Amino acid sequence: MTKPLRRPAHFRRTFGGPSVFGTMPAVVGVALLLGLALPWLVNSALFFTLMTQAVISAILALSVGFLIRQNGVVSFGQAAFYGLAGYTIAIALKFQAMPVEAAILLALAGPTAFAFLLGLVIVRSPGIAFSMLTLAVGQAFYEVLYKWRELANGDDGLAIRLPRQLFGLAIGTFQRPSSMFVVSWIALVAATALLNWIANGHFGRLTVAIRENEERARFVGYGTIVPRAGIYAVSAFLAALAGVLIALYNGFVSPDLLHWNLSGSALIMAIIGGARVLWGPALGALVFFFFKNVASNYTEHWPAMIGLSLIAVTVLLPTGLGGALAAMAERRSRWARG
Amino acid sequence: MLIQVLNGLVYGGLLYILAVGLVLIFGLRRVVNFAHGSLFMIGSYVGFSLASQGYFLGGLLVAIATLAVMGALLDWIVFRPLQREYQIVTVLVTFGILLVLQDLAQSIWGKDFLTLQPPSYLAGSVMLAGSEFPVYRLMVIGVAVVVAVGLTIWLKVSRIGLYVRASSVDPLTVALQGVNTNRVSAIVVAIGAALAGLSGTVAAPLMALSPSMGGYILIDSFIVVVVGGLGSFSGAFFAALLIGEIHNFGVVYVPWAASMIPFVLMVGILIWRPSGLAGVRA
Repeated sequence: MTKPLRRPAHFRRTFGGPSVFGTMPAVVGVALLLGLALPWLVNSALFFTLMTQAVISAILALSVGFLIRQNGVVSFGQAAFYGLAGYTIAIALKFQAMPVEAAILLALAGPTAFAFLLGLVIVRSPGIAFSMLTLAVGQAFYEVLYKWRELANGDDGLAIRLPRQLFGLAIGTFQRPSSMFVVSWIALVAATALLNWIANGHFGRLTVAIRENEERARFVGYGTIVPRAGIYAVSAFLAALAGVLIALYNGFVSPDLLHWNLSGSALIMAIIGGARVLWGPALGALVFFFFKNVASNYTEHWPAMIGLSLIAVTVLLPTGLGGALAAMAERRSRWARG
Repeated sequence: MLIQVLNGLVYGGLLYILAVGLVLIFGLRRVVNFAHGSLFMIGSYVGFSLASQGYFLGGLLVAIATLAVMGALLDWIVFRPLQREYQIVTVLVTFGILLVLQDLAQSIWGKDFLTLQPPSYLAGSVMLAGSEFPVYRLMVIGVAVVVAVGLTIWLKVSRIGLYVRASSVDPLTVALQGVNTNRVSAIVVAIGAALAGLSGTVAAPLMALSPSMGGYILIDSFIVVVVGGLGSFSGAFFAALLIGEIHNFGVVYVPWAASMIPFVLMVGILIWRPSGLAGVRA
């Protein structure tokens, strides 16, 4: 890891304080250990089924949250990259075009590159139009895969012809909930660390400056389109990572992976968790899944409940659960310092 | 060929009625209503409830009235208290409303697809250039034309229309002139929502009703609004015709790529003109 940077006080105030970022290597270490230890501590298949899904969705939610945090725009089409990554693997293996490892790399690189090019066009639109465009893009891909029977088997989806081994590990590692949980957890921690590194580097600060005032950033002499498209590409990369994981886990892809319901859920997780702190959306995803699991026992009106929670959090708690927790931690540490 | 062009006009007309409601609300309130597709869906179901009993015209009027009331409430409860927040806050809240309305429709009318026959006096078809064309579809084109003409006259002649046009160009200057947009916004949002109710009922005999039916047409009308230029009435009109025709020809000649064509067109137009066909550069 890079050594912790010293940041000016106003930066700390805006982004949650040194308690979270200054001790990053230690946090990463503890998080990894916790994840690795969990399968030894808990022995419940149901728990890991739920957790694996939640952790993979957390990566998707992180991608939405990062876009909000760095670019100040909301994507309603993030599931497009998630689903495209899964379909890339499925189609590459269907035609036996390449080894599975190469297909995975392509599944990560393809959506990232596509998002960068698309970003060059759509980040020019004002924030609200950007949201509408991401929704349109996501749904366009959904419908193509839904209708294109020869290539993608239409709405029935595709089973992925996975080989016996992947990166030297037995394929079962990726399909058993308890071991896939560990793989996804490592991916989640790595993704958060990557985002932290980007956000605190020059590129991250430049994009925050552009978010705050694009005109001034331009006057200072920076191009603003390419960095914003770059952030869009990073967020697409994370969505693709989550897509690769879910495709390996299920061994199956269907157009539902690209549907805007899923993009919407990821957005809701990001908002509930709060996008101001990097890990907020991941927290939101965990809360979302457990809340959903509990609620399904009591009510059929989950969509309405989640809609109302979204409204309540947006209006009453703009920084989300993560933001509230970070603020609480900061108050405590200030109180401890006297 | 003529029949295909007319079919494109039918879809383009529906898109126009929906998109122009979005433009109206955006013009005055500077927010995009993500729940607009659900208003369309509610309009469809309300119209269906009466039309399936034989009262098509009654269903149409009740749907328009219901949605007008919902629009006024939306302005009063949501847009007005949130007007000082970032636009994105309102977008997220309307997205939440979308989820609630879908769930509501599902509990009232059920999950299953419902279908509606056109009223008997609009059933049948006429001969046009040697092929048959349903009377009902002609009526849909007629409704779109009436809405377009009526709305244009209203916007040009009335004082509220003047405020809407002015604030869709430059809200700050309009406020500086002492215009209190809050006083007219409930009416404007009510009209926007009523138009969604109108298009919902009119579209009901042409599509299968389900709680998620608003999704597709909402996305197409978003493309219309962005391609036309956010806040532009004439832009929305031409973009709706364009997207309607292209969508229809796509469905007929290249079905697997039909949904991709409006998207490619949209990207092309945004590369050419980043603020849309009739958009002014921000």
